[in-house]
Amino acid sequence: MTVAEQVRIWDREELLTGCQAVSHAVKLSDVDVIAAYPIRPYTEVMDMLSKLIADGKLDAEYIIADSEHSQFEIVKHASSVGARAFAGSSGTGWMYGFEALVVTATDRLPPLFLVGNRALDDPGAFGVEHNDAMSLRDMGWLMCWASTAQEALEHVFIGYRVAEDKTVRMPMALAMDGAFLTHSQHMVKVPTEESVKRFLPPFDLGERRLHPDNPVSIAPQVNEDWVMELRRQNWEAARRARGVIKQAYEEFNAIFGMRYDNPYFSEFMTDDAEAVLIGIGAVAMPTRTACRRMREQGHKVGYVNLRWFRPFPTDELRECLGRFKGVGVIDRDFAHGSPDNGGILMHEVRSCLYPLRERPNVINFIGGLGGRDISIEECIKMYESTLAAGRGDVPEELVSWTGLRE
Amino acid sequence: MIKRVEVQYRGIFQKNLGKYIGGDIVMIASRMGRVAFSNGRYSDAPERNGIPCKYFAFVSPDLSEEELEAECGAKLDIDAADVSLVVDDTMSKGVEPWGWHGIRPVNEKVGHKGCLLMVTRREHDDLVRFMAKKDYPYRLARLEGDASLAGLWVDKDDLTRERCLGAVAAVDPDVIGIEAVEEYLREKTGDENRVRAAREAYDATLRKNKVVSAGEGIDWPHEIPVLPKWHEFDEGGVVVPAVERGFQLGPRGQNRNEGFKHGTSKTERPVVRFDLCIKCTLCWADCPDECFDPTDDELYDVNYEVCTGCHKCAEVCPVKECIVMVDELQFENTDSPWEHHKKDPAGYIQWAEGKKGTKRIRYPHVTGTGVEISEGTTVPPKA
Repeated sequence: MTVAEQVRIWDREELLTGCQAVSHAVKLSDVDVIAAYPIRPYTEVMDMLSKLIADGKLDAEYIIADSEHSQFEIVKHASSVGARAFAGSSGTGWMYGFEALVVTATDRLPPLFLVGNRALDDPGAFGVEHNDAMSLRDMGWLMCWASTAQEALEHVFIGYRVAEDKTVRMPMALAMDGAFLTHSQHMVKVPTEESVKRFLPPFDLGERRLHPDNPVSIAPQVNEDWVMELRRQNWEAARRARGVIKQAYEEFNAIFGMRYDNPYFSEFMTDDAEAVLIGIGAVAMPTRTACRRMREQGHKVGYVNLRWFRPFPTDELRECLGRFKGVGVIDRDFAHGSPDNGGILMHEVRSCLYPLRERPNVINFIGGLGGRDISIEECIKMYESTLAAGRGDVPEELVSWTGLRE
Repeated sequence: MIKRVEVQYRGIFQKNLGKYIGGDIVMIASRMGRVAFSNGRYSDAPERNGIPCKYFAFVSPDLSEEELEAECGAKLDIDAADVSLVVDDTMSKGVEPWGWHGIRPVNEKVGHKGCLLMVTRREHDDLVRFMAKKDYPYRLARLEGDASLAGLWVDKDDLTRERCLGAVAAVDPDVIGIEAVEEYLREKTGDENRVRAAREAYDATLRKNKVVSAGEGIDWPHEIPVLPKWHEFDEGGVVVPAVERGFQLGPRGQNRNEGFKHGTSKTERPVVRFDLCIKCTLCWADCPDECFDPTDDELYDVNYEVCTGCHKCAEVCPVKECIVMVDELQFENTDSPWEHHKKDPAGYIQWAEGKKGTKRIRYPHVTGTGVEISEGTTVPPKA
């Protein structure tokens, strides 16, 4: 008898925004401490959580901080006493708490954060851009993007499962595109408490738990005597995380049905593809439609939707993208002054492909910055350039901007 | 097939109404075995003081959720609406959602043979005369009723929501069907009044549904701004020059921000009987949008291009019948009322009283408790 036959897996289908879906997942994860400070588009998560507490549906400490910096420090400390902790933010709020985010990783504590991606001010902009979350990419965090409300809900469980694993213990950033995902209302399948409990064991920090019965001092001054070894440990944990992620999805699929065939990214129409686009987040929507339309006209194209960004799925992505002749990377971010003045993702993807003897030609598209939408027509043009690049017609400028007034 | 619905509502006052209708459509369509989702025009926030905003719902009978999302998700605005539901008819005069966009026609996104569905008490022609011409025919359906304006973050719950759902089912059953609307309301609320309200609105809307021909309407008078290319503006972020300081007595005498006038936020405008004014200055001092222009005879002209219809002046005016709020659709233009008064004092009084009518409507501070309607009086001209 499978687990699915023993317990009821899904409780109900409910109309929820991306933010609300995350809040319900946080509730089902039975968190102990929530720290809150408002900033769009994350705010609806804290609104919904406070409502769940007020309605008597969730029993958790809910602390309203005076800023993101305090907010993130609160969850770090809560995590150090063995509490399952949750916080979230967006854009400049995320940046304001940066110091606290960095130490959460070096202290190897596993709270989960929701990042509703937002462009970094100035000037004021509410819309999505990935530079906010990505600025944390080198700091020892787990980072993953959801591309639907359902995925966001499920990745709260998966996120805690991976982050809290005793061989990992790294903080987890679950990101989702501001507006397009955070504020879109969908029918979302909400699982039962029992099924979540089956998947997600209680958080146990073991010997490291800060408690009067277990007096310990965390993060003393260590200088040159310890830091290198700590960094190496950090990196080892990230390496182990790759295996734990895989295992977590296998366990998840066993309980909730075959929802993810590949933990790190999903492939769309790639089977016999000649050229593919790869992107993160909501850009998957117009790209998939463009892909279908290109296929209808006989073009062999596909789409790769990248989910995990840290740890970067190097081997899996190298094997996947190595099959194609042309790879067009869509970046909803920009790496100023980088080798090709392109996007962060493009540089990562190209570096990942470099060891291959036969590499696909990689080109880069910068688009959708500050929340501008990327149209289906733009995606078709991106496919056309990527197909051409795959056939050897590589443009002189590897990076092009799409949807820019020029 | 994809059906696209937009709900045009007044920011904050109808925010929940707009969002509820979008969500209801998704849930009703789901009950019918259709796939649907809903979102809003995100840049509309912060939506304040009646600023025109939008919510969307997308429905398909045959696409998967993945396909529907791929076609309609991650977009700022709707491509073309099969149904554009307008929950306040004064938006017929145009909508200016935020700076950089200009004042746009309310029917801008209504597609070929699509339907503009409006909550209104006006006749067909009374609405079309404010709206932009389109080069293809579309339908204008009317759902009889007043704009349901609630306070901040609340919904008036005056059956507008249920009636709108019934009306949407009437104008496009491929979005939602009336039986499914009824079942949904019955199951969700257990209140037969709500079910009946939807059905009655459905029946009534079927009768008030007329084609607007291609070319019917006005040449749109408002310019749509064209934003500069990336190399065409100064570096250092978007640096907007301050509105140049400028003041002189008389109409339009103060310099104001030409980039965002937000006059399309109003449902009602203040009509001033200048002859009754005691020159107390309260309207001018309290107006949050600084839309009163001092004149050389110590009166205060109103600039209706920037007035948001907030009622503040009418509230603070100590003189009976001097400032009265009047339905915006009674007015053709934003011309200076003071100039009218100076040119023809007796004619102006007659005109103003005509606009004011006899009913004085006062919305209470606590929403959902009805409106107070009293009889107005025509105060004779001050000698």
